[in-house]
Amino acid sequence: MNAPDRYERFVVPEGTKKVSYERDTKIVNAASFTIEREDHTIGNILRMQLHRDPNVLFAGYKLPHPLQYKILVRIHTTSQSSPSQAYRQGIEDLDKELQYLKKAFEEEKIRYEEKQRLSY
Amino acid sequence: MDQRRSVSDLFNPLRPESNRNPPLYPSLIPKTLISLPKRGQNPSGAQKPPAMETTVSYQRFPKVRIREMKDEYCKFELRETDASMANALRRVMIAEVPTVAIDLVEIEVNSSVLNDEFIAHRLGLIPLTSDNAMRMRFSRDCDSCDGDGQCEFCSVEFHLNVCCDSDQTLDVTSADLRSAEASVIPVDLAVKALAMESSSTSYEAAEQRGIIIVKLRRGQELRLRAIARKGIGKDHAKWSPAATVTFMYEPDIHINEDLMETLSLDEKRAWIESSPTKVFDLDPNTGQVVVVDPEAYTYDDEVIKKAEAMGKPGLVEINAKEDSFIFTVESTGAIKASQLVLNAIDVLRQKLDAVRLQDAEENDFSELKAHLG
Ligand SMILES: [Zn+2]
Repeated sequence: MNAPDRYERFVVPEGTKKVSYERDTKIVNAASFTIEREDHTIGNILRMQLHRDPNVLFAGYKLPHPLQYKILVRIHTTSQSSPSQAYRQGIEDLDKELQYLKKAFEEEKIRYEEKQRLSY
Repeated sequence: MDQRRSVSDLFNPLRPESNRNPPLYPSLIPKTLISLPKRGQNPSGAQKPPAMETTVSYQRFPKVRIREMKDEYCKFELRETDASMANALRRVMIAEVPTVAIDLVEIEVNSSVLNDEFIAHRLGLIPLTSDNAMRMRFSRDCDSCDGDGQCEFCSVEFHLNVCCDSDQTLDVTSADLRSAEASVIPVDLAVKALAMESSSTSYEAAEQRGIIIVKLRRGQELRLRAIARKGIGKDHAKWSPAATVTFMYEPDIHINEDLMETLSLDEKRAWIESSPTKVFDLDPNTGQVVVVDPEAYTYDDEVIKKAEAMGKPGLVEINAKEDSFIFTVESTGAIKASQLVLNAIDVLRQKLDAVRLQDAEENDFSELKAHLG
């Protein structure tokens, strides 16, 4: 009867942004990003990718509650960069890595199949 | 309205300044939280791709080596990336790569011993061939059928009509399901058909009778209509294409040979035996301890404790390589294991695409508001 809607966990509610940005009021170049309907999968790769950026002083994420389907990502950068720039860069690099990985896997699959075929 | 206009007027002059500000409280940044990239930013190999952008990039270039690949099983090495990427891929393979499964059941007649819900649940758990799932639509955002999720783009219809009229118990199985679409059928039937075709291989599969849904005795009947839909494991495990997906860190094992040579043959044997899995062995010719199967090591620390108990600490050093992973992927048969990996990469890219910042304006806007108080 009072069961929550089945796709409440995947669909961003109307009137809510997928990603929202909130600047820190006390520290320059620090901000929080709220990402709706995402979890550790995105949170952790994004955090680890941000750690590779030397302009990022701090990057962390949390899943505030298992029944609130959102994550918070907090980024603090040097004055050489900005949280949104670092965020953008992080997503871009991850996307390119996956693009590269897909090609690598496909090529390896072809190579493997060829090898199997020859050994028969 | 008023505020908005003043904001856009100020927009350009203020924006660069906000970036020029030095950090206000550098001393407040806890040193332990400062994270620095661990490895060199330059990827090691030579044939490295693109010098495409003017901006710096911290992208990695992972390497893959497939060790074993069958339709429903794949074992491969993933290198030169980190655990977060390996784990994201594992999580996506289990919970977010879509498949097709029965989701809606209309029972017309059910005089079997199982109740309607029980049968509907069992039908949902039958894996269906889902090679087209990536191209299908989710019923919830299909605009060809107004939300009821019953059109060719988002669903596949099944019928089942079985009646027992003999004294022998009749098994109702996945083979009794009649699909409206040839490309979406129970996995066990597809495997069986394939095995019959190439009669040489696995005639074990050809012997299979299908997945039992319910058993009927004389006079009992089951007649129903079922709708299969696209879904993901996060919604319900019946949609998960993965039977198991695991990865392990590749171990790096170093034996201190000098210290090892101070052990007698019996001591060596005892030390080798202390490992619950067969990682080490004794070379029968030289009497040396050798690593026979590093990946059998389960990070149990038993050999390290044994060495300490023998008064030989540092006899062996074992570390997990932080950028090398060995993946084992087993599929339910809904899609091939190798396809599962490729689909997971696609799904993860789609997810990343969805969390891109929409427009720079929005961010600058809030930055400005902060300035204006
Ligand atoms: Zn539809």
